[in-house]
Amino acid sequence: MRKSLDLGREVLDHEIVDVDGVSCGMVDDLEFEDAPGGAPTVANLIVGPIAWSARTPALAAWLVRRVVRTPVVRVPWSAVAHVGETIQLRVTAQSLGLGKADRRVERWLSRIPGA
Amino acid sequence: MGRFAEVFLGILTAVGGFVEIGELTFTLTAGSTFGYGLLWTTVLGTVGIILYCEMAGRIAAVKHRPVFSLIRERTGLTAAFVTLIASTVVNVLTCAAEVGGVALVWQLLSGWPYRLLVIGGFLFFVLVIWWMKFEWIERVFGLGGLLMLVYVVTALYDGPTWSDIASGLVPRQPENASPHQLAVYWYYAVAIMSSIMLPYETYFYASGAIEDHWKPGDIGLNRVIVMVGFSLGAVLSVALVSLGAEFFQPRHVEPQLPGTAALSAAIAFGSVGLYAALLGMFFAFAGAAIETALSSAYNIAQFLGWPWGKYRRPREAGRFTLTWFVVFLVCAAIILTGVDPVRIVEYSIVFSVIVLPFTYLPVLVVAADRRIMGAHANGIAMNVLGWAFLVVITVAALAAIPLFLLTHGGQG
Repeated sequence: MRKSLDLGREVLDHEIVDVDGVSCGMVDDLEFEDAPGGAPTVANLIVGPIAWSARTPALAAWLVRRVVRTPVVRVPWSAVAHVGETIQLRVTAQSLGLGKADRRVERWLSRIPGA
Repeated sequence: MGRFAEVFLGILTAVGGFVEIGELTFTLTAGSTFGYGLLWTTVLGTVGIILYCEMAGRIAAVKHRPVFSLIRERTGLTAAFVTLIASTVVNVLTCAAEVGGVALVWQLLSGWPYRLLVIGGFLFFVLVIWWMKFEWIERVFGLGGLLMLVYVVTALYDGPTWSDIASGLVPRQPENASPHQLAVYWYYAVAIMSSIMLPYETYFYASGAIEDHWKPGDIGLNRVIVMVGFSLGAVLSVALVSLGAEFFQPRHVEPQLPGTAALSAAIAFGSVGLYAALLGMFFAFAGAAIETALSSAYNIAQFLGWPWGKYRRPREAGRFTLTWFVVFLVCAAIILTGVDPVRIVEYSIVFSVIVLPFTYLPVLVVAADRRIMGAHANGIAMNVLGWAFLVVITVAALAAIPLFLLTHGGQG
């Protein structure tokens, strides 16, 4: 991976794509951890509407929290394979618990002919 | 498919998909109210849509990034969220107007009850998107929309006053007009530009380029399609202004309803003209309904990072599929309340222009960024034109609501 990375511009609010090329959310927030004796490092990418709504003004955040109940998902930085236009993972979305809602809708839609 | 056929088909689709119910209503009414006085706005709007669809299509071909993902990355999360909500509202309003327009056209063709046809339209749209492949949706409705060219033939058949057309291409306020008439003039100027550049067209065009799997090698194709296709589409807008000026104004007819618009073709060419106009409007409105509904789903999916696209099976992009279905459900419900589609058009057009600067800015910034676009970034001329146009559209956006309130929605 490259030597320097602008987390605000190149990671935050970028699309996450899993190892099979399936979109599985955006980098909605970042979680840091203290490294012993050094600068903090990125521990997790946080994914989910609750995470990004916390970065918007109170009214928007309140609105989103009224509609969305699903908890956020934490993607460990070690699962990131490549940072480009999209953030590519080295694992499947399912193994991290991402894209649950899509799989729920998929089961439901599968009953309709032509799906 | 051969390269030439692909370019040809792309152009025809762009022409056929250029006009929808809002543009039809506003260009005809502007012509019947101000003659050729607002013709320049059709040219200005066409330049804008060419510039920004070219950039959005180029970004999609080179980086496979759709517009809303750029908006979220570049305008900041809060502005992007507000833009998402505003653009979804105008997409849904536009879609509802098109669904109503299709039902009106079907009613003229069949004589069946309007509300029954709205429900029929809802089922028709859901089945079409569910079953038809993306490229066939583009082709069927784009090519069918070419029947709208009957309006160009009608305008030419009436023998337009070419000198008036030429003078209409120069922006000039009407002389001896009262302040109220001036406000109405500028209201229509903003509305025509907005109707030509409706935000869904850029969202749909860029997402469509990704649906069609465009590669960097396709940027030439992209350029030809937007330049030739949209310019030919603009000929149709000019013809509609001309019909308003030369056919409806002398007869003191306000051509707001699709059926009234079709009268001009019917009087010139009898039942052949009438059927061509009605079928052309059906394909044009239906195409726009599908594009606005899909655009709503594209935008939401791109903002939230869901899998999206018609190239996926419906179940593989479950939440995306569910979103366009719900959009049609909401649109059908709005129209079933009995609200006049032409009234909805007015609201959707006025609010659309406010969404445009927020849509265009991130497209321009990314298309100009050499670190992202490399050799395919904007040249100097494109940047100058792009920024100049952004200023124009921002002024129009700021003026839109005051003009709407001042003129009570363009009431002369």
